[in-house]
Amino acid sequence: MIQVSNLTMEYGQADSPLRVLDNLNFSMDGGDTVAIVGPSGSGKTTLLQLLAALEQPTHGSIQLDGQALSHLSPDELADFRRDNMGIVFQSFHLIDSLTALANAALPLDIAGQADSTKRAINMLERVGLKDRTTHYPQQLSGGEQQRVAIARALVHEPRLILADEPTGNLDEKTGKRVADMLFDLHAQSQSTLVLVTHDMRLAQRCKRLFWLESGKLRVEENSEFSA
Amino acid sequence: MNFQLKFAWSDLVQGLKRLWLFCACLIFGVCLVMAAASLYQMLDRVLLSDTRALMGGDVEIESSEPIEQAVLDWLASTGDISLTRELDTMMSTQGDEFALVELLSIDNAYPLYGELTLQPEQNLSSALANDEGQWGVAVDPILAERSQLRVGDTVYIGDLELVIRALVLAQPDRRLNANWRGAPVLISEEAMNASGLLRPGSRVEYEYRIRTSEKVDTWEDNFIAQFPDTDWEIQTFKDRSRRIAERLSQIASGLLIVAFSTLFIGGLGIFNSISVYLQSKRETIATLKACGLRDAKIGQIFVVQIAILASVSGFIGVLFGSGLALIGSQVLSQDLPLVLQASDTIVAAFSAWFFGIVTAFTFALPALGRALQVDVAHLFRANNISGNTISVHWRIASYGFAIMLAILVLFAIPNVLFGLAFLVTVIICLSFFEVVVRGLRWVSRTMEQRQWLLRHAATRLALANMHRPGTPLRITLLSLGTALTLLVACTVIVFSLLRLVETTIPEESPALVLYDVLSEQKEGLHKAASQYDSVNKLTLSPNVRARVSAINGTPIRELGNDDVNWQNQARDEHKLSYLSGNIDGIKIVDGAIWDDSFSANSLANPNIDFAFIMEDREAQQMRLSPGDIVQFSLVGIERTGLLTGIYSQQGIQTRFWFEAIFSDGALDDFINAYVGTIYMDDEEALALQTQLARTYPNIITVRTKDLIDSASDLLNKGTSGLSVISAISLLVSLMVLASVMAAGRSKQSYHAIILYCIGARISYIRRAIIIEYSLLATVVSLFSIILGLIIATLVLQVRLKVFAWDIYWMGMAVACISSVIVFSLGALYLFQKLKIQPAQLLKESS
Repeated sequence: MIQVSNLTMEYGQADSPLRVLDNLNFSMDGGDTVAIVGPSGSGKTTLLQLLAALEQPTHGSIQLDGQALSHLSPDELADFRRDNMGIVFQSFHLIDSLTALANAALPLDIAGQADSTKRAINMLERVGLKDRTTHYPQQLSGGEQQRVAIARALVHEPRLILADEPTGNLDEKTGKRVADMLFDLHAQSQSTLVLVTHDMRLAQRCKRLFWLESGKLRVEENSEFSA
Repeated sequence: MNFQLKFAWSDLVQGLKRLWLFCACLIFGVCLVMAAASLYQMLDRVLLSDTRALMGGDVEIESSEPIEQAVLDWLASTGDISLTRELDTMMSTQGDEFALVELLSIDNAYPLYGELTLQPEQNLSSALANDEGQWGVAVDPILAERSQLRVGDTVYIGDLELVIRALVLAQPDRRLNANWRGAPVLISEEAMNASGLLRPGSRVEYEYRIRTSEKVDTWEDNFIAQFPDTDWEIQTFKDRSRRIAERLSQIASGLLIVAFSTLFIGGLGIFNSISVYLQSKRETIATLKACGLRDAKIGQIFVVQIAILASVSGFIGVLFGSGLALIGSQVLSQDLPLVLQASDTIVAAFSAWFFGIVTAFTFALPALGRALQVDVAHLFRANNISGNTISVHWRIASYGFAIMLAILVLFAIPNVLFGLAFLVTVIICLSFFEVVVRGLRWVSRTMEQRQWLLRHAATRLALANMHRPGTPLRITLLSLGTALTLLVACTVIVFSLLRLVETTIPEESPALVLYDVLSEQKEGLHKAASQYDSVNKLTLSPNVRARVSAINGTPIRELGNDDVNWQNQARDEHKLSYLSGNIDGIKIVDGAIWDDSFSANSLANPNIDFAFIMEDREAQQMRLSPGDIVQFSLVGIERTGLLTGIYSQQGIQTRFWFEAIFSDGALDDFINAYVGTIYMDDEEALALQTQLARTYPNIITVRTKDLIDSASDLLNKGTSGLSVISAISLLVSLMVLASVMAAGRSKQSYHAIILYCIGARISYIRRAIIIEYSLLATVVSLFSIILGLIIATLVLQVRLKVFAWDIYWMGMAVACISSVIVFSLGALYLFQKLKIQPAQLLKESS
């Protein structure tokens, strides 16, 4: 489903560039779960941004179902994200002027789906927040905000879910509950889940681990899944 | 679009509190533009523009004698004609009261435009008809009130005894100057002929009004082509020498300058307010982008929000402005035939509202364009990646609105050149302060490295704050500098206008003004005046009329300068006099008066007979400047003079307003009549007026007390309005500027807290802030004063013709005080922030 070829990302000046990702090659299939791990500054978030088509690589290409993302215009990329991706951020990034329900319905509303409210209520019910639909983000706890963010990321049934440290801002107990929910919801879909994390317990719940160090990628199959 | 609209509305409702400054700026700006524009339109309609009703016709031909039948035939072929004969004369009552009146004989065609309303209601021709041997008159109600006359009373004019049959409640061509020449009294043509006032030498004005379907300019060209060598004055759209109207026009211009400056300063407030608002919306924008909403659609959300806010705020501003305009018109209507019409308000309301919307978008779009460039990576890294660039589309849209605003300003300000000057001024201000910002950055960077500053950490911190990346210095200085510059300029202009009005109404005015005193009556007049103890001064000045026939050797009708109507100039009669005894308050504005030793014989040019100075408006109309040689035609005799200076009229004490003043002796051969003034007690002036009317019926006497009082009252009301609007503008500007300071300094407060957390004492942080703000206040005040005074000087000298160097300190004071207030409020805001728990603030700011 996702095919990454010769992916290289450099920052800085042309004569002395800083190479953050160095010639990565990998692929992911529908239903895959992938954890991107590595020390700070290793390029984890950069790789996630490239997969989300929020950055253009210096070299190489990313293809989703044969569609090269680099060939799309900014507007086509926006539409592509709207239809195919759901992103969960470490800091939740809910829109504080919208209720939990409106936040969860956002991708459907943007796509002009008529049944957005019904589907968003259903999604909030699945994340255990049916009684919080009219609450604003500032009236919710951190865990509840992240659950709304997950509902928003999954409500339109995307093919690719990208999560950046989804439990990074939560305490251990809440983080575990949120992670359980994320994996449960993913299991009910055929989407690909890619998450960036420092938490090895969370990483170990994925089928594959992408180790990044000094821009180089090492792919490790999770033995628990292969067993 | 449905999603965008829904989102825009719910997001706006939630974030409305943050946009109070945006709304306040727009409401006050639109309010002032609305009030000023309504009042200006009303004044323009009633006083300044020569509307058909006011003029009494499309074209007016003025002559001192009846015009020939051949000409009348030609006029009749172009439209309808109405003849009004005007004569200034004295009217007496049965109680021996005398009053100067403007006697008007009117024909059956009068009025060509508008409607005459009489009380009691009746037909004008029947009111003026001869009924059982007695002619009727219709008089002005103000005259009736002053002279305590009622319908049915008898009055005496010339040889006639007439009965008042009606009061003229509405006269379409009644002009402001009617109060000054004498109130109008209407009689029939036959009664005028029988009055005995039409004698050789009488100053009767024959005014032929023509109603034509032709274009006025074309008509005038055809007329001049048909009758090239006639001396009749043709008036189409000019009603010159209306000093009060001119003053009101100046006040109205002042109002507009203040209003537009306020709107511009408000615009700066809008920019800052919307920038802060959008700053807080960066996360929302990035999140929407991450969710797949296209940039253009995100833009639509905020455009809708701005449109909603601007429309509602503009509407509220229009409501407040209408209230102000209504109050203003009510106050003015007590003295002038002014009524605020729906057309004035509707046009002004729509313009002001539209202005508000365009202003809002002009100042908001650049901020929006930048905000939309926010990088979604911001959401991943939680770092401060804000859009500093602006995409091409948004840049074009921003420029588009700026151009639209500029065009609107040009249309809104009555004089296009004046509007252009306002725009150029704003551009110069912004460019000037851009240079100042760069200079200040360079200086602070250079200074910070100096050895002697190494031990002055607070000063170095203050200097570093001026040039560090992300400093709000640029926006602060551009906003404050431009706004303060406009405030300085407005203050000086407003105070100059207030002073001008003050000097227009003289402290000491003559009790009696005399017209048409014949040479042989001078001695008798002196003798009569000497019988009254209170007379302390009697002055007489010759009053000679002449036309300009040539300039610098070229006959005036042959001059080729296309932007001057030389045919009209050739027909224009000028009032001439001598310097000695001249009581018009004049001030030389260019060149000089000839010196005492002047003698025509001593000049190199033997053709020059005399030297003279000329009134500024006349000189400007004929493009004359000191050094020009002008030939005058005096009763058919040609005399040539050297123009040595240009003067402006200062006061309204006599309203003689001579248009040129000649060196002694030049007019001696042509003097038939004098004008004069008598300074005396007002009670005795009444007795002297009665005595003169009996002894010398040809002398017209005017008691000026009432006229001066009413003019003073009127102008004071105008200046009070200007003062109130200026005060509101100043308060609004201070509010906006203080908010700009607070808005731009949130980052600085965060840095101050960091400093505190790492061990800097509060006193150290405060010292650094005080040094930085003191430096900024000094720089901003200094440059604003310099630029503001230059702008004020140009406006005053070029546009308003006012010269008042001695009140420039007012502008300096306003700049300094405003600067101190604004920067003090900014510093207090930061000091206040330091009192909050640092942990809480860091949590909020991070």
